[in-house]
Amino acid sequence: MIVYKTFLKVLNKCKFPIILYSAILLFFAGINMSSNDNTMDFTAEKPNIAVINNDKEEGITKSFLEYLHENTNIKDIKNDEQEIKDALFYREIQYIVYIPEGFSDSFLDGKNPQLEIKSTGEYQSELADMIVERYIKVAKRYRGSTDSDEELFEKIDETLSKKADVEIISKMDTKTITRLTRYFNFSAYSFIAISIYVISTILFIFKSEKINRRTIVGSIDYKKVNAKLLIANSGFCFIIWAIYFICARILIGEVAFSTYGIYFAINSLIFVICTVTLGFFVSHFVKSRNTITALINIIGLGSSFLCGVFVPMEYLPEGVLKIAHVLPAYWFVKNNELIGSTEVFSGDVIKSLVINAAVIIGFTIVFFVGSNIVTKKKMKAE
Amino acid sequence: MENIIEVKNLTKLYKKKKAIDDLSFDVYKGEILGFLGPNGSGKSTTINCILSLLNFNKGNIKIFGREMSPNAYDIKRKIGVVFQDVAVFEELTVYDNIDFFCGLYVSNNNKRKKYIEDAINLVGLQEFKKYYPKQLSGGLLRRLNIACGIAHKPEIIFLDEPTVAVDPQSRNNILEGIKKLRSDGATIIYTTHYMEEVEMICDRVIVLDKGKIIAKGTTDELKYLAKIKEKITVEAKEISNQNLNQIKQLPEVQNISYENGILKISYENEKNNLENIIDFLKNNQIKYRKIYSERPTLNDVFLELTGKELRD
Ligand SMILES: Nc1ncnc2c1ncn2[C@@H]1O[C@H](COP(=O)(O)OP(=O)(O)OP(=O)(O)O)[C@@H](O)[C@H]1O
Ligand SMILES: [Mg+2]
Repeated sequence: MIVYKTFLKVLNKCKFPIILYSAILLFFAGINMSSNDNTMDFTAEKPNIAVINNDKEEGITKSFLEYLHENTNIKDIKNDEQEIKDALFYREIQYIVYIPEGFSDSFLDGKNPQLEIKSTGEYQSELADMIVERYIKVAKRYRGSTDSDEELFEKIDETLSKKADVEIISKMDTKTITRLTRYFNFSAYSFIAISIYVISTILFIFKSEKINRRTIVGSIDYKKVNAKLLIANSGFCFIIWAIYFICARILIGEVAFSTYGIYFAINSLIFVICTVTLGFFVSHFVKSRNTITALINIIGLGSSFLCGVFVPMEYLPEGVLKIAHVLPAYWFVKNNELIGSTEVFSGDVIKSLVINAAVIIGFTIVFFVGSNIVTKKKMKAE
Repeated sequence: MENIIEVKNLTKLYKKKKAIDDLSFDVYKGEILGFLGPNGSGKSTTINCILSLLNFNKGNIKIFGREMSPNAYDIKRKIGVVFQDVAVFEELTVYDNIDFFCGLYVSNNNKRKKYIEDAINLVGLQEFKKYYPKQLSGGLLRRLNIACGIAHKPEIIFLDEPTVAVDPQSRNNILEGIKKLRSDGATIIYTTHYMEEVEMICDRVIVLDKGKIIAKGTTDELKYLAKIKEKITVEAKEISNQNLNQIKQLPEVQNISYENGILKISYENEKNNLENIIDFLKNNQIKYRKIYSERPTLNDVFLELTGKELRD
């Protein structure tokens, strides 16, 4: 017990950098959140669209237009090829629907008249697409099941307004999931920095020649003391991991505890195991407290810049990303991005996730083996 | 007398250099054994070999009648070590430092609490429990270093130059503490190159030079080894060369030196030397300010045995 107790006391004296590395993470998570706050707003989520109606404004067409008015921002645009192109290009609208002549009649007849669509392909346009498809799907389901058209429109309307809430929440999740992705990406830096800092500092202090000698003459097997230090160090890093996970829940929301959250958590746990072994490996090369800071800067900041921890991967040059392949943080971030952009965790997605995780585990094994080799060499030198 | 440590033919080489050379000695239960020797004579190396911190090339070490080894935890439990260099956690208070090192031997919390208090009282750090090592003076830091090594109430205590660079107040405190530990029943191996300390507290002395034992025994026994039995110092401004030559011829005089108005005479025997020199001074009408007689010190012994001073 005395080893754990002393571990905590020593750590308590050296806690400032740990708080700092965590504060950076939470600070950026906070910034991230506030910059995304307005997109959280549902009204702002409504896509800007245009409708060119070649049909009469009655029957199903009327009901459809009302629905679009409610769920999108319909911009007034002249039915002019060039003007429509410009509007899409300048992002005045993300999406445009052409309702063909006789759409209502043909639809109510049981046929499937096609709506012509143009879109920018952005997130907002996908949302618009979903909104349109949802109407058609629901309308098709109730078609022919009612006595009058009026009744049909009512039923459609009722179903859609009920479902709308659920749909909105799921759409808002996409945004929060992006935020969660950024948060976990950023945590790579904090995990690397804290693992190296804690493990190197603790071992530097406990394993300094003078203190170590006192430990060796003591009546506890010093291998047990070493084992306890290993447990304490790793344990501490896992506690930090758990705290970050809980912080994600507090700062970003319930999505942290969703399926996405669980995938992120598993991925970051695998990464923490890796940074812990990295910390032990690196600690062998620490000659002074200053070396520790230097190592954190080189490894922590280096990995972060190269692997898209601070800046999303898509903004990084090809060459940089190629180099980044030799760093575990790259695979961690890659997995985060994959999790964040996945709608359904199909077998293919999971396979990719597992492959990336396996690469991280591979690094873990390398650090672990490397650490043991250095320890053995040191023992022989003595 | 009961042998608590037995060292036989211990030899240790660093590369090709012999740091200790065929040492054999015993440590008796309840004594303070002084290890006296100049820098580099092999004191620390001997201790490290006894503690199994160093591999040695030849020899055999028994503690409590049993072979010492790195895994002899039940022997280690009864040993306390105060190393030459201060070894404490900068990040821990005085109290927490002692707590950790004591905790390597004593796992029971209540027992340890009491032991820590005892150690703090012994070295007189009561007012500094909450201090960090950085805030302690050199002397207090040395006391903390000692407290960390002896808090678990060991039966054998090794102290490697615990008073190096320590102010007189702390030195006295430390020496008193060591005597107290002995009276509480501990056996102590005390390493130093201050012969005054050895004369003050040690029951027996082993004199080491270049890794070899050059003398051992009680301080009186050692002093008996010296050819000089008495030293007389006279402070007199003017003594003629003729008079100096005459003094040299006085009975039992072994050697004289006269520098800066201080005359030093060494005698091979202790019979009436003071009387003789006072008579001589009176008869030759030599004026003097002070005259005093001394018994030889261990330094004289060391000087005679090795031809050099114990300390430069
Ligand atoms: N690690 C080492 N490698 C090589 N030589 C060493 C080593 N440690 C000590 N020595 C040599 O062994 C000899 C004995 O050293 P030791 O430290 O035992 O002396 P000491 O009596 O304790 O001296 P001091 O009073 O300075 O503490 C010295 O000549 C020293 O230079
Ligand atoms: Mg020494």
